[in-house]
Amino acid sequence: MDASDETPFASTYKPQPSTSVLLKNATLIDGVSAEERTGNILVADGRISFVGDGDVPEGVTEMDLEGRYVTPGIIDIHSHLGNYPSPGVRAHGDGNEATSPITSEVYAEHGVWPQDPGFDEALQGGVTTLHILPGSANLFGGRGVTLRNVPSRTVQGMKFPDAPYTLKMACGENPKRVYGTKGGPASRMGNVAGYRKNWIKAAAYKAKRDKGGDYDRDLQLETLADVLDGKILVQMHCYRADEMVQILDLAKEFEYKVTTFHHAVEAYKIGDYLAENDTCAAMWADWGAFKMESFDYINENIPFVHAADACAMIHSDDENNIQRLNQEVAKTWADGNRAGLNISKAEAWKWLSTNPAKALGILEETGTLEAGKRADIVIWDGDPFSTYGRPDKVMLDGAILFDRSSGLKPKSDFRLGYADLTEGVK
Amino acid sequence: MRCLLLTVATMAFSTPSFAQTFFVDDATVVASNGTQSKTDIIVVDGVIQGRGARLSAPDGATTISGGWVTPGLFAPMSSLGMTDIGSAGPGNDVGSETSETNVSEYAADSFNPRSVHISNVRQSGITHAVIAPRSGGNSIFAGTGAIISMTGNFDSVIIPEAFVMVDMGETGTIRAGGSRAAAMSQLRAAIEDAEGFFKRYATQSDGGDILSRQDAAAFSRAVEGNIPLFIRVNRAADIMRLVELKSRHRSLDIVIVGGAEAWEVANDIAGANIRVILDPLQNLPSAFESAGSRLDNILFLEKAGVEYAISNLTALGVTKPATLAQHAGAAIVEGLRWDQAFSAISSVPASWFGVDTPSIVVWDGDPLEVTSAPIAMSIDGKAQSMTSRQKALRDRYNPTYDGNLSHKYR
Repeated sequence: MDASDETPFASTYKPQPSTSVLLKNATLIDGVSAEERTGNILVADGRISFVGDGDVPEGVTEMDLEGRYVTPGIIDIHSHLGNYPSPGVRAHGDGNEATSPITSEVYAEHGVWPQDPGFDEALQGGVTTLHILPGSANLFGGRGVTLRNVPSRTVQGMKFPDAPYTLKMACGENPKRVYGTKGGPASRMGNVAGYRKNWIKAAAYKAKRDKGGDYDRDLQLETLADVLDGKILVQMHCYRADEMVQILDLAKEFEYKVTTFHHAVEAYKIGDYLAENDTCAAMWADWGAFKMESFDYINENIPFVHAADACAMIHSDDENNIQRLNQEVAKTWADGNRAGLNISKAEAWKWLSTNPAKALGILEETGTLEAGKRADIVIWDGDPFSTYGRPDKVMLDGAILFDRSSGLKPKSDFRLGYADLTEGVK
Repeated sequence: MRCLLLTVATMAFSTPSFAQTFFVDDATVVASNGTQSKTDIIVVDGVIQGRGARLSAPDGATTISGGWVTPGLFAPMSSLGMTDIGSAGPGNDVGSETSETNVSEYAADSFNPRSVHISNVRQSGITHAVIAPRSGGNSIFAGTGAIISMTGNFDSVIIPEAFVMVDMGETGTIRAGGSRAAAMSQLRAAIEDAEGFFKRYATQSDGGDILSRQDAAAFSRAVEGNIPLFIRVNRAADIMRLVELKSRHRSLDIVIVGGAEAWEVANDIAGANIRVILDPLQNLPSAFESAGSRLDNILFLEKAGVEYAISNLTALGVTKPATLAQHAGAAIVEGLRWDQAFSAISSVPASWFGVDTPSIVVWDGDPLEVTSAPIAMSIDGKAQSMTSRQKALRDRYNPTYDGNLSHKYR
């Protein structure tokens, strides 16, 4: 049986209703150009018709932005919204099948609760697409899923149509800590041996599958074989520089690609290796010292990786920071320039949307303001590179889903009763 | 902005971190109450040597335009100097899970002024900090916290017995055995142990209901109101229990830490003279006890006349205070005045402990702006090093390095 013949848990995402609109006199940061510029954007049928100047059909609504910033929607490549939702009660901890170092058979989407109030708050921070990963206890943690940040009763209703699956893998302290007393791995040596043993099995499974005919379907090996086929993108939790380079060698041995290192606290030490291997790094602005492998954190990690011509990006891994990823980028951008780099805001914006879209295999659909792409757009009430700038309107596929001016915002089922109470006072 | 950043960057490489003279042209000067004025300033080794409307740059001075000069920041909550790395084990002294003592555990005894995080975090403009232990085992009492200055010197513990730290709410519930009633029972029993100290412990060392003799002795100062009692609590109903407790024990100087739902009972908090340390960025119902979290919580406290300090409680642990200014800035976006937000991370918490050590920070922009950073600092008239382990790593791996040395020789 061939799993690819059918699409289990298929996306049922449908864009929300929208009308055509011309965004006039915007200060554009488009995620492509290294400089900001003034211009217009036409949104029609949920897509971007043009950026800059072009023909405007009659009768299209115009919105004069009077120079306000307009950017692509923010993409967070590392989130646990839905699988570690608020409130953080034990019964909600669905993000990590920490029962074996190899759980490549699990899918993050089966643990995502679409009523996590965090989705709504992230939307208000300009996040239009986000990638939900299994946790990092396992060497092979399971499949990640890319979601549209829309209000939905089901996770299928949020799944980004045709986005590739991803595989979460983890380096270092977590797997050896969690499994050190449960049969291993108990060391970084054991970690690498565990990856290699399973890639060997996956290669054998793939050979059997490629030959056709009857074979026993194995969900665990199916995910790994899909990686070897290039259909699934590897998203690997890894902190230390030396360890990331070991993993790049592992990928060479088994002929697969590491798409992105996540957390990558020491990526700044190996920007050249990342560039050479076309492997991205998703990083924090200023998190560190919470464990040994994050001890060497510096605030310039992202700009230094960028300066090495590697693909750098911000990520949150956090239900609070996901609401302000623009500020996280602003901090690291300013620190990078203070250290002697000369990166423009428009260039740094790529850390928020362009590069995460690339690393999730959805850059053809979103991540930049370019004609033909989904109209995932944030209109800001100030400078996005500032404490004081916030999204005023957030658009997905041309539909305004958050509007600070009018008070339009989604509200999770969980907020009912509580939110009514808090809003009653004002 | 970018030009300014480049000026500063060049400076960082070309001159040592001490012995610097800055001419801050048309500086925004912030007074301790948070109000702003404009003047030219000359700063030598982190100390203001001249101020006036039309000064000119001294020879050899680096000119900063758009700069700000403020008092140092005071972090109202941290574990600085008590932690090398956040994960459990040696290197993390914040909580003691299996110890037999509680209130008599002094954060100052765990404090290491040479911790690299002191200099790392000082680079964000923080000159003073509260250091607080966390509860462990079966006790709601975490221990006794201290006030430190960020000099990194061995005399930097300013107040070793500054306040007693207690966990109530959901954490206290777990400590006390499973219910809020049990946590309140522990707290009341401990207060009575401390109040009746001489009677209860005169003849036997375990004469108290809940505290051992040394813990009851340590708790006495808080019960008498000589030092504040910090209580972590979020739910409005839990806060009301503290308001009631205060009405029975008027000497208690209660400071709420967290206070996610404080807005709902702001007038009661004000009426009971209870102060609050809160995070203006706490807006998620991260637990049932904080289901009513909202971004404008602080505005309700301001309106009700509650005295408050801002902390970045929702941020990550070990180096938590580093993003203090960012969280204060968030309150301004919600509607707080700039001077109110700035005071809440400087003069207000400092005044709670009578800390009036002069400290100065020269910034390359608005200190509450995420893109700003300090360029010179002094504490008590002494220039502070603007280097740190983080900056040493930054310099070693800087992509602009054009020398021939391999990394370990840089």
